[in-house]
Amino acid sequence: MSTAPTPTAGVRPRVRTGSSYRLTDRIGLGLAWFLGLLFCAIAAAIVIYFLIEGIRYLRPSLLVTNPAAAASESQTGGFLDPMLGTFIIAVMSMAIALPVGVALAVWLSEFGRPTALARVAESTIEMMAGEPAVVLALFGLALFELPALGFLSQTTNGVVLGQSFFAAAALLALVGLPMVVASVREGLQAIPSHVREASYALGKSKVATIRRVLLPTARPSVITGTMLGVGRVIGDTAIVLLLLGGTLTFQSANSVPVLGLLRGTGDTLTGYIYYNAPTGDGNQPDKAYAAAFVLMLMVLALNVGVDLVVSRSRKAVRWS
Amino acid sequence: MRLRSRLRGLVALAAVIPVVALPASAGATTLFGSGSSAEQPILNVLFKAYNKLHHNVRFNYLPDGGNAGVTDVQAGRRLFSVNTRAPLPSDAGTTYFKLWLDGLCIAVNPQNSVSNLTIAQTKDIFTGVFTNWSQPGGSNLSSTIDPFGRNSSAGLYTFFQQAVLGGATQSSNVAQETSDGLVATNVSKDPNAIGYIGLANSGKGSGVKRLSINGIACSQTEIKSETYPLFRYAWGVYPTNHPSTAVEKFFDWVRKSKQAGQIINRGGAVAAFNNK
Amino acid sequence: MDEEDFLEQSHGISQDQRAELWLGALVFVVVGVLLAMLAFVTYQAWPSFAHNGLAWFGPGGSIDQQITRIFTSGDLKQTPVYTFHAWPLIWSTILTTVGAISIAFVSSLFIAVFIVEFAPPWLRRVLEPVVRLLASVPSVIYGLAGVLVLVPFINNHLITQSEKASVTPIISLSGAGLLPAVVVLTVMISPIMIAVFVDGLRAVPRGWLEGSLALGVNRWRTFWKVGVRTVRPVLVAGTVLATARALGEAIMLLMVSGGVGFAPNPLDGPTFFFEPFRTLAATIIAFDDERSSPPMKHTLYAIAAVLLFSAAMLSFIGWAAKRPMRRYGVIA
Repeated sequence: MSTAPTPTAGVRPRVRTGSSYRLTDRIGLGLAWFLGLLFCAIAAAIVIYFLIEGIRYLRPSLLVTNPAAAASESQTGGFLDPMLGTFIIAVMSMAIALPVGVALAVWLSEFGRPTALARVAESTIEMMAGEPAVVLALFGLALFELPALGFLSQTTNGVVLGQSFFAAAALLALVGLPMVVASVREGLQAIPSHVREASYALGKSKVATIRRVLLPTARPSVITGTMLGVGRVIGDTAIVLLLLGGTLTFQSANSVPVLGLLRGTGDTLTGYIYYNAPTGDGNQPDKAYAAAFVLMLMVLALNVGVDLVVSRSRKAVRWS
Repeated sequence: MRLRSRLRGLVALAAVIPVVALPASAGATTLFGSGSSAEQPILNVLFKAYNKLHHNVRFNYLPDGGNAGVTDVQAGRRLFSVNTRAPLPSDAGTTYFKLWLDGLCIAVNPQNSVSNLTIAQTKDIFTGVFTNWSQPGGSNLSSTIDPFGRNSSAGLYTFFQQAVLGGATQSSNVAQETSDGLVATNVSKDPNAIGYIGLANSGKGSGVKRLSINGIACSQTEIKSETYPLFRYAWGVYPTNHPSTAVEKFFDWVRKSKQAGQIINRGGAVAAFNNK
Repeated sequence: MDEEDFLEQSHGISQDQRAELWLGALVFVVVGVLLAMLAFVTYQAWPSFAHNGLAWFGPGGSIDQQITRIFTSGDLKQTPVYTFHAWPLIWSTILTTVGAISIAFVSSLFIAVFIVEFAPPWLRRVLEPVVRLLASVPSVIYGLAGVLVLVPFINNHLITQSEKASVTPIISLSGAGLLPAVVVLTVMISPIMIAVFVDGLRAVPRGWLEGSLALGVNRWRTFWKVGVRTVRPVLVAGTVLATARALGEAIMLLMVSGGVGFAPNPLDGPTFFFEPFRTLAATIIAFDDERSSPPMKHTLYAIAAVLLFSAAMLSFIGWAAKRPMRRYGVIA
């Protein structure tokens, strides 16, 4: 940004964008500004649009009533069960993905032998991250319709339903797993090796080091990875459509309190939105807007949470 | 240390046992079915009413279309299905059971003034011979016709093929919707639209206008007297080998009982065999 | 506490070995599940590929009619029909993906440069969280906006009666088609690319840029020639990530693409942008209900196999592209 030596007083100063800015440069700069501002406008439009439509159509009654099949829109209820369904699959899938993901990340970062297995594991997990959810859903359907896994959904007269919260959560865990693994692995690899060496010098075993030194330090990345995984899981529609049964309210398998519900069918916010879009059978755009607004708030809360965790961890321990 | 890990193992084991022992705790049976989406509004009310009478029987119904439903039963993925066309040789392995009388209506958007079509004209519209509303006549519109229909998994489409198209396939510009309700939705939104819809989804409040076919209206009286050309039965389908007794009992109730008959009539179809 | 440490210490070696074995077994199981999925999908897809050979990927006939034939031939009395020429689906997938990626790549690059270097600080602080938020919005919400705002707008204001008449009775133009699909897809994948590019551009060593500035090169040229050129592997990686997302997108496309097995024809002129289509991923969801019919099931798995292997290849390209970055000490 510095040019020739400052001109003496009385001489008109040369404008900076003189010969040093060629035409292509000016076009590039102009394009960057234009597209940047256009992006701001589009982003603002999307956010404001959903804000307005959501506030217009979201009523508290929608959050506490269940959807019902009815002829007129005023009787079709709200989306309580779909909202609870989103929470349930988020919790269930991360309950599987979190421990498995942390274990995988620990193995990849701290052990990692034999190297062939490590490379295969790395590539498979990365491949999983880019897989379309439809393919996972198709595989899940075939898997959970096996009679051996009938206890995870419902079976009558030898016919296995194959759609349940267990089925959806299992596949969604595969969706959230790569996020957890990547994040925890990054967190573990960011810890300098002299920390580990100091621990070993004190006579600690590797396991003790991991449990008491490394993982607690990497806790922010575990939290970040979990939140990113939850974000992906609650946004998924394909797996939920195919594996959750799509019943408007929870249909428990039997009267056993929690497990009956999890073996039964239900719906989530994403499924509810898809159903109520003009291309779905419900065709109630107002309810779809309201549900979309709630879902966006959840995603926003997760993003804010991740930002907080990351910013707090930056001010955390310094390894000298 | 050791004690803690042992305890953890025991807790894990205890969590598994209820999941595994669940099949033993029967009580409620859920009957899985699939099939026609055109009959779904009536079926939903029937399911609820039956559940009130027999608290331990519940239903899980997937409206994937009549033909897909029969294939589900053949493949052993569902216990029963409801179809809107008569049985074909390809339905081997299943038993068909008449449930009630119903009809297929041809409907247009209320802004379209046409009120009657012949079967030949309907065929020409859906095979792409007529492409403009000025061609069949009787309409105030002169725009391109937007036909809406169903895809191959729908029993209604097979019936429409047999009864109207004479075995031909619908032309490629017919938008293939996945459910009966969606055809009605699209017809109600597009002034130039025409579609074939079941009775239940084309009634008052659906936003579409039913047409008369060959001068006869698509309504319960004409269907009951079988004068409306596109009348058909709703069939219950179950596997021939080892059918579920619960399903057979349900179908008997739907076909014969007075309460089911009232539900069917109120839903817009015609109770054909029920006790009065 | 000390006793526990002492116990850990004295059983240290075998405890480590035990932990390694358990964790290794878990890794084996997870990798095994994923590879089993690959194997299963390929095995189920094989009959469809075997009957069609390479013609599976080529054109030939109306694909919706082929799907009908496949589905209805699934009963016990007929020999199953597998004839399937997926070119309309493949072409639609290519059109949407390449269209969205090309627009998104150029825009995202410029926007990322803008955010990192030229935006005023207050704007930068607002934009970065917004980009991350938009990147994590579920696709069904984008689809909702598309089908409720974009599709009616196109239908009412951009498609003329004469265009509709020109394509009937082959297809119907209803607003849902190539244009809204590519627009929404671009808007959907741009935040992902922007986020990755911004992270990469941030990681460029500051000294390099300042060296260039000290030599008198102007700010734009410095950033473009030094910064962007350094992060070329990041550009590839971000593009690959976005391509994988665009390829697998089914829900949003089901809502705005019109759902007809038709290959949009560029020779149709302006009508080309309004023609409906259906991509590979959308076809799986649209016909999933018909999978009780065995030939239909094999066909659906064949489509899934094509998607599976495309995504796998993409992630391999992405991995291969990121490696040169390490050479410069730039972590991305």
